[in-house]
Amino acid sequence: MVTVRFAGNRVMLLKRIVALEGEQVAFRNGRLMVEDKELEEPYVRLPCHWNLPPRQVDKGCVYVVGDNRSLPMETHYFGQTPVKRIVGVPLW
Amino acid sequence: MVRIKTILIAVLALILGILAATYFLESEEKKVKKQFDLLSKWVSKDLGENPITMASKAKNIGTLFAESCELKVPVDSITAAYTPAEVSSYAIRGRMQFSELALKFYDLTVEFPEKGTAQVVLTANLKGRLMNGELIDETREVQSVLNKIDQKWLFSAFEVVEVLEK
Repeated sequence: MVTVRFAGNRVMLLKRIVALEGEQVAFRNGRLMVEDKELEEPYVRLPCHWNLPPRQVDKGCVYVVGDNRSLPMETHYFGQTPVKRIVGVPLW
Repeated sequence: MVRIKTILIAVLALILGILAATYFLESEEKKVKKQFDLLSKWVSKDLGENPITMASKAKNIGTLFAESCELKVPVDSITAAYTPAEVSSYAIRGRMQFSELALKFYDLTVEFPEKGTAQVVLTANLKGRLMNGELIDETREVQSVLNKIDQKWLFSAFEVVEVLEK
């Protein structure tokens, strides 16, 4: 898990890095595919039905997703972000 | 002796100039930030807000905007320009959908790329309860431009920054 910053350090998002630069990432019926292989995700407890076509993570970026994926994909805030926006990890 | 006196006066004048410039910029930065405080205050809505307050706040929101304010939301392919009257009108309609609403701004960085123009980068959080009871809590990074018109800093552009790109 990492924290992703917005304009400053007062408000952050708590997300999980699931893919690194150059890797291909996609969702198929709620299953997260990285390099066309399903990623084991025991931390995802609620049902997920997302579908997202494959995309490659840009240079200098990582792909982050939250664990609560029961929401519709359109309302869940996730995706590729520059590494420079990752400012830390939770202390618990 | 005369030469030392001249140098001292020049140094003093330089220090005064730097102090005056710093004071001026800080003062302008405060004025720019105050516009965001007002926007936050007038967009926010308490439970049970009466219609007079609602109308007054919506009208006030329009006074913060330049004759044309551009809005860009690249992730939703939205690019549009609004007049102050349109902003007030959208504010009325938008606020009516909420029973409670709070707009807050964090981490404002203000720069003055040229005289009469301010560029601000900030984090905006909109938290509220819709009339049907649904809770809304959205946070976005925003870039804004304000122009100084008739001694007032007015909003002339807002762009939502795509921090996470699906």
